[in-house]
Amino acid sequence: MEEKVLEIMKEVFEMDAVTTDVSQKNCERWDSLHHLTLASELEDAFDIELEPEEIGQMTDFARVMEILKTKV
Amino acid sequence: MSMNSFVFRNQTVESFFGDDGVTYSGYDDISIVPQDVDRYIWFYQVPVNADTRQLSQELGSYIDKLNLVLSQVTDDKPFVIFSLVNLFPLKFSGEDTAVSDAIDEFNHHAVKLSKERPNVKWVDFSEFTNRYDAELLVNWKFYHLSQMLLNPKLASDFGAWWKRVDREMSLNRKKCLILDLDNTLWGGILGEDGIDGIKLGGDYPGNVYQRWQHSLLQLSKNGIILAICSKNNENDVIEAWENNPNMVLKREHFSSVRINWQDKVSNIRDIADELNIGLDSMVFIDDNPTECELVRQLLPQVVVPDFPQKPYLLMPFFKSLVDDYFRIYAVTDEDRTKTEQYRANAIRNSHQARFSDIEDFLKSLAMEVDIIPVNDHNLPRIAQMTQKTNQFNLTTRRYTEADVQQRINQGWRIYCMNVKDRFGDNGITGTIFLEPFDDSTMAIDTFLLSCRILGKGIEDVFIRTVLNQLRKEGINKVTADYLKTAKNQQTADFYDRLGMSCTHTGDDGSKHYEMMLHEDLTIKNYYNIKLL
Repeated sequence: MEEKVLEIMKEVFEMDAVTTDVSQKNCERWDSLHHLTLASELEDAFDIELEPEEIGQMTDFARVMEILKTKV
Repeated sequence: MSMNSFVFRNQTVESFFGDDGVTYSGYDDISIVPQDVDRYIWFYQVPVNADTRQLSQELGSYIDKLNLVLSQVTDDKPFVIFSLVNLFPLKFSGEDTAVSDAIDEFNHHAVKLSKERPNVKWVDFSEFTNRYDAELLVNWKFYHLSQMLLNPKLASDFGAWWKRVDREMSLNRKKCLILDLDNTLWGGILGEDGIDGIKLGGDYPGNVYQRWQHSLLQLSKNGIILAICSKNNENDVIEAWENNPNMVLKREHFSSVRINWQDKVSNIRDIADELNIGLDSMVFIDDNPTECELVRQLLPQVVVPDFPQKPYLLMPFFKSLVDDYFRIYAVTDEDRTKTEQYRANAIRNSHQARFSDIEDFLKSLAMEVDIIPVNDHNLPRIAQMTQKTNQFNLTTRRYTEADVQQRINQGWRIYCMNVKDRFGDNGITGTIFLEPFDDSTMAIDTFLLSCRILGKGIEDVFIRTVLNQLRKEGINKVTADYLKTAKNQQTADFYDRLGMSCTHTGDDGSKHYEMMLHEDLTIKNYYNIKLL
């Protein structure tokens, strides 16, 4: 699952590589727009619905994983 | 060929057009019409507003906005207008057609523009949206998170659709039709049959050639350039133009004429040079298959359709030319009558504000700007804005609610701003933080506006009103900083434009400013400003 999420992030942020310490703070491409694209891609990839509050909390890789684990 | 496009929009549509060679206006912002782009795209969505009367008025204003933008665009740059589609059609009764009428009016106006201006193209967005169910089209979650009504999950579908439409638009449109003469514009050979011997007018096949000429004349009236490329004696042709009474197309209808015995390839190149248009916007018509093949081989950019074998097939041939190469946009007769009706309605509705320039437009908005000191109710919103605002943000300092509270306790002056106009209330969309330095000096620590409010001069009103107020209270000097980020380029010269003096420029692009407050800063009189 981690790998799949990293793969999705790589695609969404159009980066060569993404590591597990990625966050909105250290990743310039992770702006508000790409944030929603990420949410949308995660919803599709794992066939889940993310609530707006959850999307708001997904500010780094660790929190993305935390939220996804409650869903999948 | 890569093309730089500029998208006028009122919602978040970046997912649909991407960021490769595409830049975007602010939300509903027409104040900036960049000139250094290759083409413009107008892609407005119908806002969500349960007040259908107010919504229809807002939609009506899009026509004025579009006109205002178009008046600043030259005819050589393509301008693509997407039709409005209501993704949330709310009606309180069957007769409640205010919103759908306003949408129709906008769309017919766009069609009309596409007929009047050669660079304007109209795209029927419903062609895309009709493929999907209402619940798939709209993503309410993303709409409320990011002002994006159209479901971002349709982005890749949209991309494929738009690519096809875009390609068709540019492929279809040719600018110039180059015609041979003998056995093409008339029957027979002028040099052999003589002026009165050629078949033009009268019985078959002369009647077909005359009707064909008449049709080509209509094509020219619709903006297509006609040219002649013929192996003939020029004097014979001039005489035929002047003296054959059945001749419909005459010298004045052709923008470029090559009547000589040179090869047609060189002549076509000459015509392209003379008219200053590309070979790829030309169609060449000749009854001689050898000439046609030569041009196809040597000038592959030029379209060379097969000439019909029989004269009576010229009319369907004409129609296929129009459909395949010269249609600007399909407009049915019904559309035309409707356009007339809407024009009449528009005149009846002339009590609505019309404007011709940006100042008029801003006046017509009847803007009310409330400037409010920080309080318990607006503090969370103020902190949130410092967290989220990237573009119009001079220093991009991020504050939590606790940070803001702490600064209030330290005696900072913090204001936020609320803007209303005749289309509704935008809520709190800007804030300024001022740190006291001494009794007569303050430093602007933070100044930001939400991007959805830009383009209306509000930033000037806000800061000027606050500075005038400070002056009244005995502050005679302010300092300010611009701290450069990847996103706030548009504010780089904001303080310069305000009249501040830049006293220091850092290696990182940051700038430090000072300003003495000797007299009140001027503010345009069409804002209704309240400092609470």
